[in-house]
Amino acid sequence: MSVMSESDLIISIRDVSKSFPGVKALDKVSIDVRRGTVHGIVGENGAGKSTLMKILSGVYQKDSGTIVFDGQTIEHTTALESMHRGLAIIYQELNLVSTMSVGENVFLGRFKEMKGMRGTHAKARELLDSIGCKVSTGKLVSEISVSTKQMVEIAKALSFKSKLIIMDEPSSSLTAEEMAQLVKIIHQLRSQGISIIYISHKLDEIFEFCDTVTVMRDGHVIDTMPTSEVTRNDMITKMVGRTIENEYPPRPAKVGGTLMEVRGINTRKLKDISFKLREGEILGLVGLVGAGRTEIVRAIFGADKAKGHEVLLGGKKALIRNPRDAKRAGLGLIPEDRKLQGLVLTFSVESNISMASMDRFSRFGFIRRSLERGIGERQVKALSVKTPSVKVPVVNLSGGNQQKCIVGRWLEIAPKIFIMDEPTKGIDVGAKYEIYLLMKRIAEDGGAIILISSELPEVLNMSNRVLTIFEGRLTGEFDPATTPVDTIMASALGMPGVSA
Amino acid sequence: MSPAEKTGALKSAAGFLRSYLLIVLIAVLVVLTAIVEPKFLSGQNMINIMRQFGPLIMVALGMTFVIIGGFIDLSVAGIINLVAVVTISLIQVLGQVPALIVGMALGAACGALNSVVILSSGALTQAEALFMTFGMSTVYSAFALLYSHGSTMHFWDIDKSKSVFEAIGAGKVGPVSVSFLIFLFFLALLWIFQANTTEGRSIRLTGGNKTAAELAGIRIRRSIVVIYTICGFMAGVGAIVLFSRITTAAPVIGANFETNAILSVVVGGTTLKGGKGSVLRTVTGVLLIILMSNCLNLLGVSSYLQVVAKGAILVFAIWLDNRKQA
Repeated sequence: MSVMSESDLIISIRDVSKSFPGVKALDKVSIDVRRGTVHGIVGENGAGKSTLMKILSGVYQKDSGTIVFDGQTIEHTTALESMHRGLAIIYQELNLVSTMSVGENVFLGRFKEMKGMRGTHAKARELLDSIGCKVSTGKLVSEISVSTKQMVEIAKALSFKSKLIIMDEPSSSLTAEEMAQLVKIIHQLRSQGISIIYISHKLDEIFEFCDTVTVMRDGHVIDTMPTSEVTRNDMITKMVGRTIENEYPPRPAKVGGTLMEVRGINTRKLKDISFKLREGEILGLVGLVGAGRTEIVRAIFGADKAKGHEVLLGGKKALIRNPRDAKRAGLGLIPEDRKLQGLVLTFSVESNISMASMDRFSRFGFIRRSLERGIGERQVKALSVKTPSVKVPVVNLSGGNQQKCIVGRWLEIAPKIFIMDEPTKGIDVGAKYEIYLLMKRIAEDGGAIILISSELPEVLNMSNRVLTIFEGRLTGEFDPATTPVDTIMASALGMPGVSA
Repeated sequence: MSPAEKTGALKSAAGFLRSYLLIVLIAVLVVLTAIVEPKFLSGQNMINIMRQFGPLIMVALGMTFVIIGGFIDLSVAGIINLVAVVTISLIQVLGQVPALIVGMALGAACGALNSVVILSSGALTQAEALFMTFGMSTVYSAFALLYSHGSTMHFWDIDKSKSVFEAIGAGKVGPVSVSFLIFLFFLALLWIFQANTTEGRSIRLTGGNKTAAELAGIRIRRSIVVIYTICGFMAGVGAIVLFSRITTAAPVIGANFETNAILSVVVGGTTLKGGKGSVLRTVTGVLLIILMSNCLNLLGVSSYLQVVAKGAILVFAIWLDNRKQA
């Protein structure tokens, strides 16, 4: 690295530190990115990746250190200045105006420079074509898929003649197919001499197309190395600071009789969904984002209005009109979006855990605090949630520990059937494994789990059985242990000729 | 101290000031008034301040629940108008105790109706509730005008006994006014409800995150009915305390109560974002507002300017609240 001349580098980050009250988020972080390369940054949640990005984009100011971008030292900056300088950041939660058109979003606030709306749309068309995106520039952003939104973000970045594009976990809501398209675009950008910093949890991606990878942990850079010279296990060890033997525990072994049967869910989006769930089983739902996976479990749980379907529990019909009924019938739900649907972020760890079991710590409608405290502490201990106390606001915890609080909330009332929608989204490797072990334990204790995940390896390695869903219909049923991945994917993509 | 510690200490001092800036500002005003105008500290003025606790605090206590639940209620002005004219007229017809009961029940019914309208429309945001309750307020006020034919009703028109209302309006137990005792009674009741019951907790969770609360099996629809019913009921109580004190009930008697109640709740430190807050904070809020107008009165500030001051304080309180969360 030391032999490289300065002009080879698009960005040079030197000894950058940043502290928040009580936490050193970044400690003398140094990263060099060469021009025209794809540079991966991996690390668990809380490793400091996001903080670093926010410093680069001007959301935070660094405490010390230097940043040289394209030969210029950058001190204070704003998001707009960075964009004009040629540094674009595509955030996980995309920054588009959903009520405006695709074209308008690409040139937001620069319509004058584009000589009005006609020029705006024409130029946007050109940029989108250059990355092989066919969406109409007149379409509203609210009507396009997440992956198309990402394309629009990339087009926006290109419109600023960006020299460096930072992508923050771009794949977390993409399907395999959409991901392939993104990879193609990344290769294309690189061949045009544009550098890319690619932040991800997913090691597959890092190995697939990153030239160099930097591993961060606890606010430090642990190592930077060419991707070709490192093994997967090495990288995991560096990320978590300890050795992890397997990414997935073995599947639950004993599958019993039918625990739940679902008959004929029909909604605007779903067509005649019927299936059985067996005792001790993890059942995976595989499909593209938007295929209807989440809608199925929400209908079962009574969270969405659905008509005419039946849910049979232990052979008897259960009336589930709302989540409260579902809870009483012995169902638990870990919702798709932890922060928006799962947690009351400003509330304490304890009240987030105790939320579903209020009748267990109250008498005649009055809360008994000692009992509530007991529930909170029991689950924190059982799931080894890392928190200074149960009184801390849950927002202060890392993603994995937040997710454990939701798991604990339901474990307290011991549901027979656990629905888990993206249970490990945005969670680091170590915490993921703990969640997997928990799932296995729930199944082995005679429960059953319906698992939804956009990470295909996760569903395939955890599930005893998978159902594929395409455009609101069930298209197949497979044993993931014996079926080739391609067959399952083909079914999930609605390709004809494939069925169980 | 190291530089880091120093900035840390400065930051926490700034945080403290931000949290309590309003209280500090009003305390400064009180001290200044006490120096410039010694009358402020007189016993008569203290009794005066205590008396003003009456109707506003009742309404503000009820409003606290709506705001903790993540909603807002602009209909209290209309409810006060309606409850006041109906109750005072029923004294003549039904006698005073039935009139009192009907009056409070009417307030609760109006509040419950608000929640039914909101829930049946599927509106679940504060902004939607704001406009809907604003509409309901004009409906209740219109009914008050229709019922009273637009005229003001007076105690002296009533032949029957009205001793209960006279006690509420002007009675005393020792040195303490009856209305202050009523306030203490409801404060204790609502405080226990808010802090110690599962329904109180459900309301806070609903205000904190409706979706998460519902998915955890909490009955958020019931909580919404409860908060509006409490708010309507307390507005009814406020209406009764109000007309008992001034011995007349005009169909526009409740004007501005909604803004003053929201002002008290927010100045007390309950956040408009929902989930957090307390009836105790609202008591502080009301006290601050009363002290402020008392001081401004004693200092001879015109009532127009006082309205400006109240508006400015409300905007400032919300501004501070947002800064705190940022």
